[in-house]
Formats: sequence, C-alpha cells, structure tokens
Amino acid sequence: MRVKYSYLDEQFADVEAYFQDLRDLVSTGEFTLGPFVEAFEKKFAAYIGVKHAIGTNTGTGALILCLKAVGVKPGSEVITVANTFIASAGAIVAAGARPVFVDCDERYQIDVTKIEAAITSNTSAIMPVHWAGCSPKMGRVIEIADRHGIPVVEDSCPAVGARINGRSAGTFGRVNAFSMHPLKPLNVWGDGGIVVTNDDQAADFLRLYHNHGLVDRDHVEIWGVNERLQPVQAIVASRVLDTIEDLVEARIRNARRLDAGLKGLESYINPPYRPEGYREVFQLYLATATRRDELLSFLVSKGIEAKVHYPIPIHLQNAARDLNYKRGDFPMCELQADEIITLPAHQHITEEQIDYTVSIIREFYELSAT
Amino acid sequence: MPTYTIPYTALAAEASLEKKELMRAVETVLDSGRYVLGPEVKAFEQEFADHCQTEFAIGVASGTCALHLVLRSLGLNEGEEVITAPNSFIASASTIALAGAKPVFVDICKDGNLDPAKLEDAINDRTRGIVPVHLTGRPARMADILEIAGRHDLFVLEDAAQSLGASLDGKRVGSWGNAACFSLHPLKNLHAFGDGGMVTSRNPDLIAHLSKSRNHGLADREQCDFWGFNCRLDEMQAAMLRVQLRRLDDWTATRRTLALRYNDLLRPFVDVPDEGPGEHCVFQTYVIKAERRDELRIFLNENGVEALVHYATPIHLQPAAAELGYTAADFPETMDHVGKILSLPLYPMLTHSQQDRVAELISSFYQNN
Repeated sequence: MRVKYSYLDEQFADVEAYFQDLRDLVSTGEFTLGPFVEAFEKKFAAYIGVKHAIGTNTGTGALILCLKAVGVKPGSEVITVANTFIASAGAIVAAGARPVFVDCDERYQIDVTKIEAAITSNTSAIMPVHWAGCSPKMGRVIEIADRHGIPVVEDSCPAVGARINGRSAGTFGRVNAFSMHPLKPLNVWGDGGIVVTNDDQAADFLRLYHNHGLVDRDHVEIWGVNERLQPVQAIVASRVLDTIEDLVEARIRNARRLDAGLKGLESYINPPYRPEGYREVFQLYLATATRRDELLSFLVSKGIEAKVHYPIPIHLQNAARDLNYKRGDFPMCELQADEIITLPAHQHITEEQIDYTVSIIREFYELSAT
Repeated sequence: MPTYTIPYTALAAEASLEKKELMRAVETVLDSGRYVLGPEVKAFEQEFADHCQTEFAIGVASGTCALHLVLRSLGLNEGEEVITAPNSFIASASTIALAGAKPVFVDICKDGNLDPAKLEDAINDRTRGIVPVHLTGRPARMADILEIAGRHDLFVLEDAAQSLGASLDGKRVGSWGNAACFSLHPLKNLHAFGDGGMVTSRNPDLIAHLSKSRNHGLADREQCDFWGFNCRLDEMQAAMLRVQLRRLDDWTATRRTLALRYNDLLRPFVDVPDEGPGEHCVFQTYVIKAERRDELRIFLNENGVEALVHYATPIHLQPAAAELGYTAADFPETMDHVGKILSLPLYPMLTHSQQDRVAELISSFYQNN
C-alpha cells in the first residue's frame, strides 16, 4: 500500500468550479488586487473573527509585514523559537532585527516559562509560532508580553482553523500572519499569505506598505514593497475556505485514529500531549520516535512517505552563524530534531492507510525489540 | 467611472484570445501537483534568458522583488548610494531604500532615460551602483553608462521592467549590465496574470545566490545557507507565461508598427517618441509630450479615449522621498517631462480606425483651441 505525503492531486481532482472562476477572472482583466482579492479578504476576516485581513504574496511576506506593522526596528530583537520553518527567523532578519530563540516545550511549542529570561530592553516583539498547526499557550504569552509592553505577532502560518477554547489562532497578537502555501490547511496553487489584525492603524499602514506605499496611482506616501496576493490565488483560496471546516475535521479524525493506533507503543513512539480546549489542525502530524532515522527509512521502504520537520534547528543553520548560538543552547528543541518524525495524516488519508501505517510502525519496533 | 470607447488596456480581450491555451497550461501544473519552483519555472527561465540573448534568468515574485534581491546581493551598507532616474515607477528607488542604501537621482535626457553626461557628477566614494531604467520600452544609453561605471568600478543593474525585447545597436536589454530586472506585471508586454518578475545575468555566482535568496536561503530542503526571502515566481504563472512568450515577438512587432504609425499621425501636433540611432523600442507605453497636457488629457477622456500620465509626480518629490531633501529645481528635464507626458492607448489589438480617432481628436484639440 502507498501512503503519500502530498494530497494535492486528490484535493484538486475536480477543478471545474475553480476553472469557471478563473475564466471569469481572465474575462475581467483584474490581475492586480481588485474585487477577487477584496472579496477573499473579507471572507477570511469573517472566518477568523478579525476586523482586517490583507492578502500577501507569501506567508513569509505576511510575517515581515506584521513585524513592520508593530514597529520592529532595525537592530532590535524579536523572540521566537528555533524549531520552526526557516522563514520565521528569516522574516525577522528581513525586517532588520535579530532573532532571539527560546526553547520549545514537549508539545513542540514555545516554552512560555523561558520567554521572560530572553526579554531585554532591546526586544521589539515576541513571535510565537503555532507550530505544526497546534497553538502555544497564547494566554500566557500575551500576559508576559503585556507586562513588558512588548507587542505579540503570531506566526500562525501553519494554523488556519486552529483554536484555543473557540478563539482562532491569529486573534491573540496585535498583527498576525498566515500562509497559504500548497502544504498548508488553507492552500493555494502556488504562494500566498494573509495578515490579520483588529488594529485599524496597522491595517491602514499595511494596505499602503504592501503595494509600494501607493495612496493612489500617482502618490507614494512611504517607501513600500510589492507583497500583493495574486487574484488567481485569491480565487483558489476562496473556494478552499468554503470547505475548510470539513477539511480540518477530516484531519482531526485521522489524527485521532493515528493517536489511538499508537497506544501501547509509548516506549518507542509518542505523539505530543494534547490538552483540552486546543483545536489542532495537524498541518503536520508529529511524533517523537526512538531510532528515528531507521524508522523513517523503514516506513519509506514500505511506501509510507514519512518526513522530518526539521532535522536541523534554525540556530544551528549556516545562516545563523552570526547569531553565535551553539549546540546545547536549546536542549528540548535539539532532542526533538533528532527524534521527531512527521507521519502522513492529511484529509485524504483513508482509515486503511492509517491502520497500515500503524501496523508497519509496530512491525518495525516489535522486530527490533526482540 | 466613465466607459471609454478606446480604453487604455485590452487585457481581458487579449487573454480571451488565448484562454484555451492558458487554461491548458494551468491544468498541466495541476496534473503535476508541483506548485512551487517546478519544471515550468525552470523551462521558462531558460526560454527567457534565450530571449534576452543572455545566459541565465531566474524567476521571482515581482519586478520589485527582482530589483530588491539583486540590490541585497550587493551587501549595501547604510550610507552607501545607488543612482537611478527620478521619472521611473517608484520601485526603482524604493528597492534601493529597502536594500539599505540611499537612492540618488540623476536627471534624464530628452528621450526620458538617464543622462550619462550628468552621471559623473553624482558619483562619489559612497556610490556602489547604477540602476539605469529602460523607460517605456526604450533602451537607456548603456554603452556610455557602462563605460562610466567601469571607470568607477560600479555595479550596473538594468531596470528593464518596461522593456523586454528592446535593443540598442542590436544587443537586447537584459544582456548589457551585471544584471537586469524585468517585471511581468499585467501591464507589461509579457505579463503574468498577477505579479511576476525575472532577473537575467551572465554571472553564475549571482544566479546561484539568487536561486537561494528567493527561496529562504535554502540550499536544499534542510540546509539554510543565509537569511533569504520568499520571492518565487509562481509555477502556474510560469506555465501561462510560456504560452505568451511564444507570441511575444509577433505582438511586439505589431505594437511597433502601431507606434510608428501613431508617430506619423501625431507628429504635426505633439512631440512623438521617435527612435534614436541604434534603438529598437518596444513601446510598452506610448508616450507623447504635449503642450497644455492636462487640458488635452481631459479632452481625450471626455471623448472616450483613456489617456494616462506615467508618472505625474516624479519620485524625488514623493512624500516617501522627503528625507532625501530634493526639490523641484533639481532635475529640469524631468520636470519638463512630468508636465508634458501623456500615455495613449497602445496594444496589439488596437485598430487603425481607433488610432485615427485618437489622432483626429488631438488634431481638433490643437486646431480649435
């Protein structure tokens, strides 16, 4: 049996409705911002429960925009985690600031007990990541940030649909980012991102800044960038958004089945603790496993496309050498980099495929246990 | 909004002509399941480099990103300067600021492009590069500019956003400087159905750097060599661009024929964009210089012709540039342009009778007023 990691061919097997929308777009010639982008922004804002949503060209772009909007200045420091996609830190550098990492907890989320020690007089923002589509303890993050008068930017890139006690990821920080990369829960046919905020002033700034600082066709108020969501992608995103709840529920169902299947293998492989009230969207289904690299090869040899997100933590990347971190600085994060594995558990996986995955994992450990 | 009998663009009509091929291109991408930096981007990059008569091309998210990434690759320090033209689209200068340097402007010639004779005065020991703009589809005076740049050891980045296919002395834009940037914005001769951009260069090291910097600095899925950006050309846009690129030379030829026809029709009334010696222009915008421009524009608009001004406020007088400290008196040729330029509708589907109508209106404006 084959258990594929990517499901895009299945998700977009029937594209007629999308194509009809695209034909309409082509007939209008509205290829830069315009009604399709605006309609999607309104719809997304309503879904998340915020006043403003601004489409961007990428999730990375969305993060950079958020940091600019909360006033992150060159030379200042932004606190985030090292166990995330490189863009979380890359966006901080692109905004001119220095990434300051804190370790993660056993749920792979920012360790809220370690934030305070990382705050200095130069800290200009705290940027927790909803890593893998699971939310960190946002209430605690906000409480610490408020106490120090530091703005919070949520990197909710992987987490459209994630909630804490009914409240969406992207509604806790001042200005927050989502990605719509093909392997995110809300995905488009290429790159796309969204910034959300309830702050009118930040929204006004971002509408200017993301389109060259243009007030209108002739007047440039501030130096800006080109970070626009493409209308083609807004059309795709809008249709996917119509199905997002079903899609997330399917992911949750599959994740629960995988959780149940792994019961009894606790000494070998463990999904993280999943506290009450946190709705995870399983952008990645993560677990920590002993003899991870061997397990990975075994799964792949049996047709199961498992992966590792990611084997090298950001503080140990070549790019980060100037930041002067070393192995040992973030023990939990480093341990996870060696043990973490991503199992296919997306919305198009069948129960049979999940059961097959579990049986192969059992086979691997029971064979090796004797 | 008024409806125009002769609108400024005909994007929807143009796209309808090739809708089937475009949708097929999109389908190819969907069938492949590769949405990010796949085979279509790769193939388009090679075809684009060939079209520019150069070695390498790399796809990015927009013309602005193209400029930004190349300028970033220079490692500009605060206080260093990069020279460009003040009568361009804002991105020519904003990307210099974004990359951490100071935009310095130099006035233009009568033809609307950077004046090489004025370059030297603007060069000092903080100058790192020159960004000549090939505005409106006309090549800048690259031989002179390169000679000066060579003497001062400056990087030359062609801003060819508006000029794909234009050439000077038989050599295409995009093949002159250390690197060149192109925009594939919907209003460009070759355009994406959204945003897109390209960088061309003969320098393999620069291209290798850009192929990482546009994709987070990633050498592969796991290793990040330096802090980068996410500025990738969309796979789907690349697929659609390949459809258009096959037709580009024909469409450019039509555009040129129409532009030269406009020149003959309008020469008695306004200053027309004749080609200079050795120039092969692609007329991405067809810009005349007219006396009483604002009145003429209103007259044309009221009579169903959509005429625009590119650009009404030069960059050095934008609020964004306030801290650079320029005044209106700094660039007299630019100010003369800004007061007179008017862009008329020009696209491959424009008919001779539509052109005649525009010419009649302009003629009657000057004869009756």
